[in-house]
Amino acid sequence: MTDTVPNRAEVHFDRHTPEYRVQFEAITTELQQKCPVAWTETYGGHWVISDHQSVFELARDPHLLSSDHDPHNERKGYLGISIPAISPTQGGILEMDPPDQKDYRSLMNPYLSPAAVARWAPMVEDITRACLDETIESGSIDFVDDLANIVPAIMTMALMGLPLADWVIYCEPAHAAIYTAPDSPDVPRVMEAYFAMAIKLQEELENARQRPRPGLVHALVNAKIAGETPTDEFLGGMLGLLIGGGFDTTTSLTAKSLDWLSNNPGERARLAADLPGLINSATEEFLRFFTPAPGDGRTVTTDCVYAGQQLKEGDRLWLSWAMANRDPEVFPDPNTIHLDRTNNRHSAFGLGVHRCIGSNVARSIYKTMLTQVLDRMPDFVCDSESAVHYDTVGVINGMKHLTATFTPGKRLGDNLADTIAKWQHKCDTEGLAEPIARSEG
Amino acid sequence: MKAWVDADKCQGHTLCAMAAGEFFTLSDEDGHATARSHDVPSELEAKVRLAAGGCPEQAIVIEA
Repeated sequence: MTDTVPNRAEVHFDRHTPEYRVQFEAITTELQQKCPVAWTETYGGHWVISDHQSVFELARDPHLLSSDHDPHNERKGYLGISIPAISPTQGGILEMDPPDQKDYRSLMNPYLSPAAVARWAPMVEDITRACLDETIESGSIDFVDDLANIVPAIMTMALMGLPLADWVIYCEPAHAAIYTAPDSPDVPRVMEAYFAMAIKLQEELENARQRPRPGLVHALVNAKIAGETPTDEFLGGMLGLLIGGGFDTTTSLTAKSLDWLSNNPGERARLAADLPGLINSATEEFLRFFTPAPGDGRTVTTDCVYAGQQLKEGDRLWLSWAMANRDPEVFPDPNTIHLDRTNNRHSAFGLGVHRCIGSNVARSIYKTMLTQVLDRMPDFVCDSESAVHYDTVGVINGMKHLTATFTPGKRLGDNLADTIAKWQHKCDTEGLAEPIARSEG
Repeated sequence: MKAWVDADKCQGHTLCAMAAGEFFTLSDEDGHATARSHDVPSELEAKVRLAAGGCPEQAIVIEA
């Protein structure tokens, strides 16, 4: 090979190993100091980008880097945003390039904008209340199973226009698909459950065509993008993306941050004493520090030199939001949580045209859950020893279980099943999932 | 002091409205930000600078 570039910065980097989770800070520091744009041989070979400046510049250049996943080789056969690529289908608009990707976002934004999400606040508060009611008298809770798995899932169902009570059908497959490492012996079982979920989603596409009801599913089945109606295969991937993005990410942020607050009682007291003053900056700081979705893959579209490295068309590349969020050049004292941090330009929701479309939903649900936990279980103590973290953080930095005890309190309202039924009725009769009306000007 | 949002860079993260909601307004439809005026009232200058420093896309332009 005469075109081999001399002095390519090479490292061994495997984010799917348990060691990467445990040694995340040391590995991040080493990569940022030695070679923030480096080649690693893992998963067929790919670049790994770990410093904030490079992640910032590269993520905001959709011409140099493609997100396209083209499993039928209709364009260039690119592999999308997962490294390694394991899904046989395109993962909705997260694995699509502009201009079509932008048209889909424009279609979905009126369901997910800050103003659209604000309309759901009463439901989010009531569902959160009901979840806490289910455990409040017992004095013990699993913050994952009893709270953080439920509220984001029901909200996702509501936004999509799917039956709220069906959240249980999607919950286990959605989480297991994410926390199961690609080389795990569990992969066949998890994939089977995931495909069963995919079949259910195909049924929902048909339901949305025959019995239209407002929500994202309805918007997507009726979409016309570049003059064409999306295929059922694409729509299946898109709905899977909405469920994956809606279910597992906010869950992770909630569990990780509640565990941290339990272990830092002084900071918890400070937050509880000035929640209106600190909740915004604290939420952004937890997002930065825990970065529930730690990165995304891309494919290089054009030969170019970047940061002294020769990138080649077709090269795979990993943008690490999680490592960029620990860059001391941008975040002083990066490995410490400062609840009042300013200039916190973190990339936990990604950067550029693929910025998380559900970020307003995530913040709203997260702040509601945090507020109610601090209000109703102010002395909660997590059993951090028995907490079950995801073995690996290759896809999501999350937890399977986080039990806690607290001084029991009183129920405030209906149980969860009745509360879900009440809000289902409201969705059906009041059109809650309609897109927000176009604003003036 | 003058400030505005570069619409080509803004991706609707909404952090500017959290930092300086008196100066930045968000579209109902997609959450993208615009400045309410070109001139920053003197009492909001500190907040607008914080918003600019915290913008993930560095989409807020400030002219002294």
